[in-house]
Amino acid sequence: MNDPRPIPSPEDLALYAMQALSADEMAAVAAALRDNAQAQQEFARIQSDLALLALSTEQQPAPAGAFDRLKARMHENAAATTVAAKPVPTAMPPMTDTAYEIAPAASRRSKWTVFTPWAIAAALAIACSILGYRVSSMNDALDGESRLVSNLAAKASHAQQVLEVLNAPDAQRVTLTATQTAPAPTAHTVYLAERGALVMEASHLKPVPADKAYELWVIPASGGAPIPAGTFRPNSEGYASLVLPSLPSGVQAKAFGITIENAAGSSTPTLPIVLSGAAGD
Amino acid sequence: MLTRIGQRDENAMEEIFRRYSGPVYSVALRVLRDSSQAEDVLQEVFLQLWRKPAAFVQNRGSLGAWLVVIARNRAIDVLRRRKPSDSVDDVVLASTVNVADEAERNTMMEKVRRVIADLPMEQRKSLELAYFEGLSHTEIASRTGDPLGTVKTRIRQALISLRKAFQP
Repeated sequence: MNDPRPIPSPEDLALYAMQALSADEMAAVAAALRDNAQAQQEFARIQSDLALLALSTEQQPAPAGAFDRLKARMHENAAATTVAAKPVPTAMPPMTDTAYEIAPAASRRSKWTVFTPWAIAAALAIACSILGYRVSSMNDALDGESRLVSNLAAKASHAQQVLEVLNAPDAQRVTLTATQTAPAPTAHTVYLAERGALVMEASHLKPVPADKAYELWVIPASGGAPIPAGTFRPNSEGYASLVLPSLPSGVQAKAFGITIENAAGSSTPTLPIVLSGAAGD
Repeated sequence: MLTRIGQRDENAMEEIFRRYSGPVYSVALRVLRDSSQAEDVLQEVFLQLWRKPAAFVQNRGSLGAWLVVIARNRAIDVLRRRKPSDSVDDVVLASTVNVADEAERNTMMEKVRRVIADLPMEQRKSLELAYFEGLSHTEIASRTGDPLGTVKTRIRQALISLRKAFQP
């Protein structure tokens, strides 16, 4: 009794699918696969895994003209098939040994007599294939030209309609402009550095969440860290003000900025800066 | 579509070429690193489909996946300068990997790349040497200095990770 073929391991199946085994091992796995449905299923799963792997490659389009070259080969293939498929052997009359025995003296002449028609037939078959190919190519070209003509006709018709509309004397011509846009938020500060006194009023501010507030910052001209000048929240009409907040005196300002911070305020500004302006602007 | 190809419908062939020529050419180019040879593989794969559309069994996976696997195998044959290995060309796929739709294909490619990138380096290296460089397991073991069994296990583990990532 023969031993059953060993079931190939999944590891070997994977290597087999990748052709990464030696020739002997490849043959052994192929033979074992033939008899084992379970291994065949796993092999199919591995092939699917490998298809995914193949798809992981950087995608490149096929080279330009690749399909035309393929098409030419498809036609060559068809022509070769047509010639090969000509039933030359079966169409030949049966020639027995007896026939040669009856006319040995005329064998040379009879060979020409036999082969000449077949040579002509073969030439005709090749000519037909070439003609068929040319007809097919011309049909393809004609189809392409027809599509091109249709496209051009459609584009011309569309252009004509556009011209008619633009030139129509009774057409209504109306210029549309942007509707009123929301006013931009603005803020004005008046700052007296030697006293550390500041008054700010802002308008058109957007509402902020309940746990947030706007905060004004004085940016010192000396390059020091921004100084918080107080938090504020706009009213329902977007208006807010700060009057004489607590600020150190004697700090020249380079600029002012407003950010959105937590409602309690912050010691450093959080980007983005919602409004800003340089001193002297 | 394959029925139409069987009826020598060149428009059907053109449509299939349009859909799948990119992935087929890309995998051949990845293996061969030569655009001319890669196009030869591309032509051979599609010519094979034209000549024998019945070789692809429709209810056993998607055509695109089948084509890329065939292309990879053909490219490896070219790389090793050997005759096409018919035994492995009997490619049967277990699941339908839909690569016809370009958007879906791109999503899937991204996912595959992420999985591959996340593999342990040794697994990824062994897998790529076998699949894209066409090295045998003994050649990989020789190159990396790892035992043969380790190489086999790493390749298997890498494929398992890939499979798990695409399980529903």
